[in-house]
Amino acid sequence: MSSSAVVAQGVSKRFGAAAALRNVDLNLNNGELLLLAGANGAGKTTLLRLFAGLSRPSQGTVLLAGTNPVGSDRRGVGFVSHQSLLYDELTVVENLTFFARLYGVPRAHERIDAMLEWVELGDRRHQRTGTLSRGLKQRLSLARSVLHEPSILLLDEPFASLDRRGIRLITRYLKSLDGVRTKPTAIIVSHEIEPTADVINRVVILRRGRISLDRAWNGGSGVELQKLCDHFSEAETG
Amino acid sequence: MNYVGQTITILRKDLSLEWRSKERITPMVLFVLLILLVFNFSFELGGAVLSEIGPGVLWSAFIFAGLLSLHRTFASERQNETLDALLLAPIDRSALYLSKMLSNFVFLLAVQLFSLPPFCFFFNLSPEPPLLLLLPVLVLGAACLAAVGTLFAAMSIHSRLREQFLPLLVLPMMVPALISCIGGTAEVFDQTQRFAIGDQVEIFSDGLVTHLQMLGTYAMVFNALALMLFEYIVEE
Repeated sequence: MSSSAVVAQGVSKRFGAAAALRNVDLNLNNGELLLLAGANGAGKTTLLRLFAGLSRPSQGTVLLAGTNPVGSDRRGVGFVSHQSLLYDELTVVENLTFFARLYGVPRAHERIDAMLEWVELGDRRHQRTGTLSRGLKQRLSLARSVLHEPSILLLDEPFASLDRRGIRLITRYLKSLDGVRTKPTAIIVSHEIEPTADVINRVVILRRGRISLDRAWNGGSGVELQKLCDHFSEAETG
Repeated sequence: MNYVGQTITILRKDLSLEWRSKERITPMVLFVLLILLVFNFSFELGGAVLSEIGPGVLWSAFIFAGLLSLHRTFASERQNETLDALLLAPIDRSALYLSKMLSNFVFLLAVQLFSLPPFCFFFNLSPEPPLLLLLPVLVLGAACLAAVGTLFAAMSIHSRLREQFLPLLVLPMMVPALISCIGGTAEVFDQTQRFAIGDQVEIFSDGLVTHLQMLGTYAMVFNALALMLFEYIVEE
């Protein structure tokens, strides 16, 4: 029997007079890989930040592995944000070492080497992070987010600034999770829909702060998924 | 990782970033030197006047230079939203406060120690042995300012007006500590000058001890409060 990894019950979030989320109900089981799509301003990032415990809902309940994520231990969460969450003045390897220490990653050096190999930044390990291109920084950000082998992955625009090779690195990683004994749960917020088509097994579309579609995705082409997202999200017009 | 390990890891990171960028120390040092230079031309300090005006000059320079740096405590963690990464990490929130407070303490104390020789030079204060008594005043004064500044820097982090907001919060709260900093410094200057003319000096005068006790109590109370409240302040 599967258990809930991520739960949102009647969640609303307001920023002043503006409602970013309205009464959202979402329940993610362990091992599910969800694409959270929608037009700009639909509330995707807001929902992801609530799941990460970086923000509190104005109304409703958010549970992450059965507990309120705000203020609780979130070592099981891997988070990729619009920003890199990296220190520009530290080198590539120093950034990963710093976070490996904070997370108490066992055999950190080996793990960091493996991560750098995965994101193909091994030859840039001593380069200052601030001097990396946006795409390379995004790869490093992904390495940071999975460094501690999280059980819940929250990826906000993971494909942003990435070239085809970078996108392949992520999709290959997400596919490889199928073989993991305790498969992580992942929520991918993305406007790059097509690369996720053969990775995800569920798609949720937000429209003006409400869920307009929530259905299983049992494989299909990227074009089909893109069409589905376009149909249910529609551009947010005033 | 235990509490001490978490604190040291973040502290080392902050010191390492500052060592490379010098973005906090350099403006503070330049600001203190500029203030001392301006006061040097404004007042003819020396003799008895030094003990009356000198401590105020010195601590005004320290406080305003400190404010230049304190708002960067968490602002630097907003650059790439690294504060989010720290909040997601399995670390005690109070360890985050402690590391930030300690890094501020190190920066403030470094600037204070660096500024003393120019102060002695500009204001004709001979560096006699009793001047060493200034060290505990500087250490405790820096600890008080670091504690207050770190807590209020965290409170103002989400404000767009944090540069203006922070001095308005810190300065009134620092008044009790500032009175003791200035009082303690005046005692030390007085002892130093008396020593220079051959008078007998009392190493730890009652006045100095009272001011040090006051500063120590202030630093302890404020740090204890900050350690308890920080979790609620830093989370949204």
